Formats: sequence, C-alpha cells, structure tokens
Amino acid sequence: MGESSPKKSTKRINSFQVIQVIISILFLAFLGWRLYNVIDSGVYGPDTWLRFALSGLIIGSVYAVIAIGYTLVYGILFMINFAHGEIMMLGAFSGYFVFEAFRSIPVASTGMSFLDSYQILSVALAFLAGMFISAVSGYFLERIAYRPLRGAPRLIPLISAIGASIFLQNAAQVMFGPKRRTYFNPSALARSVGWRIPIGGEEVILTYTGALTFILSAVLMIGLWAFVMKTRYGRSMRAVAENKQTAALMGINVDSVISNTFIISGALAGAAGVMWGIHNGIIYHYIGFIPGLKAFTAAVLGGIGNIPGAMIGGIFLGVIESLGPAALGIDFQLKDVIAFSILVLVLIFRPSGIVGEVLTEEKV
Amino acid sequence: MKKLIKQGNQTGLIFGIVLIFLILFGLTTTLSEIVGDFLKLSSNARASNTGGLMVLFALAGLWAGSRVDDAEKSDLKSTLTFGVSAGIVIGLFIGIFILLVGYLDSVDVEMRAYLAQLDHQSVLFLLFGRSIAAGSLISFGIFSVFGTLGGLLTFTLETRKAGEYVQEQIFTVKGKVLGSKLAKQYQSNPRSKWIGYGVLAIVVFLMPQFIGRYWNYAMGTVGIYVLMGLGLNIVVGLAGLLDLGYVAFFAIGAYVLGLLTAPEPIALTLGFWPVLILSVVIAAFAGIILGIPVLRMRGDYLAIVTLGFGEIIRVLIRSDMMAPYLGGPQGIRDIGGPSIFGWNLSTEKGYLYLIFLGIIITIILTNFIQSSRVGRAWMAMREDETVAQAMGINTFYYKLMAFATGAAFAGLGGALFAARNQYTGPADHTLMVSINVLCLLIVGGMGSVPGIIVGAFVLKGLPEVLRELDIYRMLVFGGLLVYMMIIRPEGLWPAPRRKMELHLDEPDDLPTDESLVGYEG
Amino acid sequence: MSILETRNVTKRFGGLSAVDNVSIQIPKGSIYSIIGPNGAGKTTLYNCITGFYPADEGDMLFQGESLLGLSPDKITRKGISRTYQNIRLFPAMTALENILVGAHPQLKSNYVDAILHTPRQKREEKQALQDAQELLNFVELTGKGDLLARNLPYGEQRRLEMARALANKPAIILLDEPTAGMNPNESVIMMRFIETLRDKLGITILLIEHDMKVVMGISEFIYVLDFGQLIAKGTPGEIQNNPQVIESYLGRGDV
Repeated sequence: MGESSPKKSTKRINSFQVIQVIISILFLAFLGWRLYNVIDSGVYGPDTWLRFALSGLIIGSVYAVIAIGYTLVYGILFMINFAHGEIMMLGAFSGYFVFEAFRSIPVASTGMSFLDSYQILSVALAFLAGMFISAVSGYFLERIAYRPLRGAPRLIPLISAIGASIFLQNAAQVMFGPKRRTYFNPSALARSVGWRIPIGGEEVILTYTGALTFILSAVLMIGLWAFVMKTRYGRSMRAVAENKQTAALMGINVDSVISNTFIISGALAGAAGVMWGIHNGIIYHYIGFIPGLKAFTAAVLGGIGNIPGAMIGGIFLGVIESLGPAALGIDFQLKDVIAFSILVLVLIFRPSGIVGEVLTEEKV
Repeated sequence: MKKLIKQGNQTGLIFGIVLIFLILFGLTTTLSEIVGDFLKLSSNARASNTGGLMVLFALAGLWAGSRVDDAEKSDLKSTLTFGVSAGIVIGLFIGIFILLVGYLDSVDVEMRAYLAQLDHQSVLFLLFGRSIAAGSLISFGIFSVFGTLGGLLTFTLETRKAGEYVQEQIFTVKGKVLGSKLAKQYQSNPRSKWIGYGVLAIVVFLMPQFIGRYWNYAMGTVGIYVLMGLGLNIVVGLAGLLDLGYVAFFAIGAYVLGLLTAPEPIALTLGFWPVLILSVVIAAFAGIILGIPVLRMRGDYLAIVTLGFGEIIRVLIRSDMMAPYLGGPQGIRDIGGPSIFGWNLSTEKGYLYLIFLGIIITIILTNFIQSSRVGRAWMAMREDETVAQAMGINTFYYKLMAFATGAAFAGLGGALFAARNQYTGPADHTLMVSINVLCLLIVGGMGSVPGIIVGAFVLKGLPEVLRELDIYRMLVFGGLLVYMMIIRPEGLWPAPRRKMELHLDEPDDLPTDESLVGYEG
Repeated sequence: MSILETRNVTKRFGGLSAVDNVSIQIPKGSIYSIIGPNGAGKTTLYNCITGFYPADEGDMLFQGESLLGLSPDKITRKGISRTYQNIRLFPAMTALENILVGAHPQLKSNYVDAILHTPRQKREEKQALQDAQELLNFVELTGKGDLLARNLPYGEQRRLEMARALANKPAIILLDEPTAGMNPNESVIMMRFIETLRDKLGITILLIEHDMKVVMGISEFIYVLDFGQLIAKGTPGEIQNNPQVIESYLGRGDV
C-alpha cells in the first residue's frame, strides 16, 4: 500500500487530449503544405496578396466594431444578443435614407445636390442617424425582448433573441421591400477610387471608403476603450459585469447600466452599418445576419467579454477570411466556411479565446 | 388626474407607434380587407374598402381607451380622462402621420422606392379615399371618439361583467380544448385512451384518400416537420442541448438519398429502401462526428457552433468546388422513389402514408426512450449537468446519443423530403429550416407530442390556408417567438409536466444559495 | 483497512491552498466527521474525492484503488455517493425519478434496450421502480413519488437527496451538512437516520457538519480542518478538549 509516493503527479493524460494534439498537428501540416504549394506556384503576385490583406483589414475593422457590441452585452448579461446583426442592418438603412434625402435636395449656390455640396456634413449626419436609430433599436430590443426574461434559464433569452432577429429582418424586408439597394456616396467617397500603392510593378488601390472605414473603426474602438476604462460610468459598467448584486448594493442602477450597454453597442453597430453601406455599396434586409455571425465569431476568437480581444479577433478574422481562400488555393465562395471553421476550431481547442476570456467562475 | 392623463398619453403613444409600424408593414391594409370582408362592408376593390380600416382604427381606439388601471375603473371621471387622453394622442399621432404621408404623396415623392408598402393606392386608402385634410381629420376623429368610448365602456358595470364573462368562457374553452382535462381522462381510463387512438388511426388512414393532391402534399410537408420536431425535441427538450444546425442533418439525409438514387451526378441509382435506411444511419453518424468535438461546450456556444456547422454544410453543397459530387446550385434531380410489393408509392398519397408511418414509429420510439434509463439521464443532464455526472451518468456519452438520435430523425425527414420532391438542392437547406423546426417546437410546446403536431400545423399548415398573409409569416413568427418566451414559454399545448415545471409558485422552489447564507455563519 | 483514504491531498486556487496536505483514513463501517470553520476547505476536499476538482498533489484511495484522474461519474460508479450542502435535486423531475436517476449506475439496460423496449429492459425497469419505492418508504416519503422535487418541503428534499444517494448502493456516503437548516428536533431525527444507514445498510459515513451536538453525538472520530490544513484529529472527547480547536472556533467567535 505504502509504495506509491505521495507527490505522484495527478495529471493522467486523457486520450482525447492526445487525439486533439495529433489532429491539430496534422491539420497545421496540411495547411502549411497547401500554403507552400500556392506560394510556390506563384498564382498570385505580391499586389494580389496586398489587396487581399487590405480588404481583410477593412472588413475586419467593421467586424471588430460589431464584435464589441456582442462582447459588451455578453460581459454584462451572459447572453448572445443574436439580433445584434439586425441592429447593424437598421443602421445601414438609416444612413442610406439620409444620403437619399440629401441627394434629392438641390443647393442653388453650387448647382449640385446637398449631398455633394456639403459632403463632410452629410457623411457626419448619416453616421449620426445610423448610430441614433440603432441605439434606439438596441434600447427597445432590450426593453421588450430581453428585460422580462432576466433570470430565466439560459436558453430562453437566446430563443427570444433569435425571434427578435427574425422579426427585425422580416420587418425590414416588408417595410423597405426585398430589393437590393445601392448606397450613393458623396462624390469624394466614390467607391473604388483611392490612393494608388505601387508594388511589384502593379498598383493596388487603397480606397477612400476603405480608409474612412478603418480609421473610423479605430477611433470608435479607442473611444469606447477609454470610456469603459477611464470614466466613472465605464467603471460602473465593469462593476455590473463583475457582479450584479454587489453593484446594486453599491448604489449602481443595474437596469440603467444594462440599458445603456445596449444603447452603446447599438450605436457602434449603427456606425458599422453605415460604414458597411459606404464601403460595400449594396444593402438589403439580410446584410446584418452574416456579419453578425462573423462578429460573434470574432468576439469568441478574442475571448468573449474582453473588449481589446474583440478588436483583435475582428481584424484577425477579416484578414484570415480574406487571405485564406487564396492561401489555401480554394474557391472564394468558401470564405464563410473558413470563418465558421475557425469558430468551431477555436471553441474546441481554446474556448477562452486567443486573448483570453474575462469571466469569473460563477458566471460560467 | 395628472397621473391618469400621463398614463393615457403613454398608452396612446405606444398604440400610435405600433399602428404606424403596422401601416409601414402594410398589415393595416391586409387586416382591413379581412375585417371588411368579414363584415361585408363593401365590395372587394382595395381603395374603396375603407370601411374595414375605419373598423380597425375604431377597435384600436377602443382597446387603447379601455386600458386604464384596474384600480381606477370604478370612477367614471378617471376612465373618461384616461380614454380621452389616450384617444387624442393616438389620433394626433396617426392624423399627423397620414397628413405627412398624404402631402408627400401629393407632391409626387416616390415613397414606395424606400418604404415598400406606401404606394399611391395605399396612401389613398389611408386617407379613406378623401382629401388629405379630410382623411387625417377622420382618423383623428375616430381615435378620439373611440378612445373616449373605450374609457366610458370600461366604467360601465355591464362591460366589466361581460368582459369577465367572456374571459371566463375563453379560459374554460381553452382549458377544455388545450388543458389537461381531456388528456387526464384518457390517462385515467386506458380503454378510452385506446379508443381515442383507434379513432385517430382511422382518421389518419382515411384522410389521404379524400383531401386531394394539393392537401396531401401540404400535409406531407407538415408531417415531415412533425418528424423533425420530434427529433429536435429529444435534443433540445429532453437533453437541453440547443442545436441550431439541425438543417445540416436534414441536408445529409436528403443528399445521401439523392446521390445514391438519382442518375446524376453519381450514377448509382440504388434501391429506395436500403438507401433510406442508409441515409438515416449516415445522418446519425454525422451527428456523432460533429458531437464529439462540440458537445463539451457551454450551451450557448453549442448553439452558435451548430449554427455555423449548418452554414458550412449549406455553403459546401452550393459551392462550385463540390458541384461535380453534389450537384452544385442546381441540386439533384430525378431522385428515386419507393415502391412496395409492386405498388408505386411515389405519389403524394403514398408519401403521406409513408410519412405517417415514420411519425408513428418516431412517436413510439420517443415514448420508449423517454421513460427509460436513457431518457432519465437526459432529463437529469438538462436539469443539472454537474449533479447528473455525480449520479454516475457519463454526460458526454448521453449527450452524444441525444445528438445522434435527433440527427437520425432529421436525416429521415430530409430523405423523405428529397424523395417526395424528386429533387433536392441548396435552397432546401437554409438556416430557416432549423429555425422553423425550433419555432414549431416552442410554439407547440416542448416535450409534448400533440404540441409538436399543433406547432407544425400552425407553422407550416396555417400559411397554406392564409396565403395573403404569407409575406408576414416570418415576421409574425419572429414576434411570436419573443412573445412566447415572455408570456407562455411552455407552448400552446404543453406536456403536462412541463407546464408544472414552468408555472410554479416561487416559495416552493429549492433553497437558493442566498437563503442558506443565514445559517452558515 | 480503511475504505477511503486521502494522502497529502492539496488543492490550490490561484495562490491560495484551499486544501493543504490533508491525509485522512476512514475505516469501513464507521461514522467519521470533518469539522472546521467556514472556508476551511471541507467541501473542496469532497470535490477532490468525488473528482470534480483534480487534486494538485497527493492521492485518494478507495478500497485500495487510486481515484486519481477518474471522472466524477466513474468515481460514483465505484460506490461513492454524496449529498450537497445546498440541496441539489433535479427540481423539475419527480421524487421517484430523482431516485431512479440515482440508481443509474445500478441499471444495466443500454441505449438499444431503451429504444426497442426489450423484455430485459422492461424487467429491469420494473425492478428499479420497486427498489425506488422501497427507498422512498425508507426515507418516509411514501406516496410522494409523483411530486416534483421542487414542490417538496425543505426537510423532505433533504431526505430525498439522501435516498437518491442511497439508490447507487454506495459503500460510502459523503454527507455535506445534512442537518443544515433543521431545528434541534429534526436534527436528532436525522442523526438517528444516519446511524440507521450505517447499522442496517452497512454504509460507511463521512460527514461535514457544523452542528456540534450532531457531530459529537454520532461521530466515532473527527478531523478538524482550518485554512485547508488538518489541525487536529481524534475522538469527540479529545477534540472537545483540544486547545487548538477551541481557539480556531471560539477564538474567532464562530459557533
């Protein structure tokens, strides 16, 4: 009996873990081999790689802004706000309507429409409108679909969120019609016009819309980070995320913090929607869904509940999904498969995300 | 008094906003047509059937005006104040909205380009076919008058009694039809239970002979959804795993059957029956393969990962890369059908019988498994996974089994669906399939077989009846999902025990951690 | 020979040792107790034994076999049952079903049996139902089998949890504050009940308890934990006179 030493290692190696490691090594080897083949064959010149990388960065920054909304709400309520993508879609439509309204107002002094005469003002107003409408929608979404369910079993609010997502999507379809619409930008933000970057004898265009999207995303993210970390209100948000009961005892109005979280994440989604419209040019009632899922993926990638994680996750996902099909030499139609495969793989191998989850034990 | 005015204004505001959205959805037009038709107010011409709209507005006004607090109902002055303030606010809201819309329409702004439901006809309809000023005044008038009337009516004793009486009636009828009374009778008397089953069997057996091709087809669709609902019920209802990628297994069933029986793209053209069984087996196997990595995740992660998996399958089957093997966006045609002893079952009627058979087998299996050691293990996991494991339950194995069982049912549904249509393609396998099955489960009542059948009828059958409301179907179901979660999470026809689970008084609940703190320290 | 034994078990959370180098031995057929102030690591030790927390160091032996690296369900199947400090029944299942879930390791019918409703399964199910009824009678819940667990009053929930743990036919049962929230009368009844378990069913009992009357009344031997460390052990008489124990309890004004 006494022969087993008291300090014997307690970690018995699990066969599942071994299989996991073997599979991931094989998988990585396969990826490396594909990548080597593609680069070796020289199908794509450096200009193409740069183009993919740029478009990945730009789309990724939009994902990042949406992902922050998921992360904020998850951090506080531990629910996936499934309708968040739809909130973004509503923002895109609001910006579109502002542009359309300004486009139809002629300005006598310049002989052009209001949109082209006062371009900065128009763009600013479009963003404000998008952020406002999305913030309001976010607020009502929480009040109507989530607040009555606080404290219910976890699946109930998730199903409610799915219902809200279906409702908003179809409401937009019925209200605005099913057809795809083109975002008419002010002339300075014409699509596919921009700075030319020479590389390897070719030119890559960094579009103005892309630059605007990227810079604005960065500004929004830094602003939000500062707000959450530096201000008094941000501190109470973090307190509520940490522990609702204690926060309430400390005199923080938990309900209003939750409402405001939805307003903030709604406003971010609205801005993302307008950016999406300005940069991609086509909007319809379904545009929120896939970016919403991707942004959720990004939030999980970065470790859900973690704000810088969501930013990194978003940009990482955008770049991977843009470079991935080319790098692996597969069809570009399959870029969504890459994104979702990453989601599945991350959740299997590192459920706390790349950067790490900000969750305490009792929340899980 | 001020409080009442404020409450009235708030009620009016909410009603006004909701009504404006209804107008923007075009629901007012459709509803007024239905109301107008029902009351035989005028001919069917759309712009002239404004009587229906007036009735609709009047009803909305009455409803808003009568929503005063119970405590204030006994005082005429209070109810009137409330009614008047609510009515006037709605009237102002809708009146101004109509005025604005009418003006924009009169200066030839193409509102339709932005708001699909606001064409010239609809605007004229909203104006009751009159001038802008007259139209908006009329709606203002209707709301003010009927809001006031609503307030007046709440006060009147008779209305209250009538209201209570009507409510009572509704509830007793509901109780009789939906409640457990009938079910209890059946349960208490085994003989009447079997008689009930017998009658049901005869109806089910005879129905396809009489209802004609179209309805056989429609019922077949309902039946396939019942089948899938029963499968998902095991995964979500019993084992508590929210699977949003259920369509993946539906697609796998459909494609296995399609690929192996159709002449293209793989010319195997095997016999229907072995392939049907094979498709179920492969779907179950796919469930296990997917389940092994994902079933260790937290509940809501699981939902999203399964959803992602469903999307991966859909993108893969429509991609050009897989087209040589899976048929690409065009899908698979000429899928083989079943025959038995020389009878050709490839008719709507034949498939309906086949689907009924599938449902009956599924129900029997579900009942067996639910009352077994396996079913109990599933329920225990749903209730408290940690403790379930401490009871000696290998939670991972049982989750996997639940997942595979659900996948098998979905595979069967997919295979039957593909065979009946003699076609399957990417368009059959969208996320909407998963959502629809989940919806019918929730609308009908999780864990309850009659509930699932009711849910499938509501979700798949009702839209066949109300064709004109088809574009609102998903809109309404989205709203319904939210509403059901808040008001009636147990569904329309809940399993008796689930109703017990969800509507119990708090005091009887298990002690929470907080309540234990008291005698710990 | 001891039926359950821990050897130098240590469990850390972050830098804090919740259980620090604890060795205990429980002989077969005995009633042993673990006492200690709140946060002393008693429940953590239970969680290590039952496999919910992997121990960082040390070893646990059950009937001479190591429990290291086994998942909680496997440990339960070996014959170790437990109850919880804050009752954890399956609230939306009936009392009878709760017991049947507890009997899970005792039943042999598998998935295929369940789907096909084989005669073997039917026979086993009938027997299991009968056994569960008997257990229900044993804990004096006769006739309450069809009530949902959450609808039972507090004391009955405690007894039901006990019955659920017994359905596993365990060799040892770990009880976590079985008399919490009970008045002195009820506590005495519970004490007698625990003694019956040992005397009639031959089950070894390990007990975490705050109520000193209960502890001193039924324990043959007591381990005292404080800040994760074993500070004393001995018979009730020895423990009552141990200055260190008195200090750790009385010195801090606890109980």
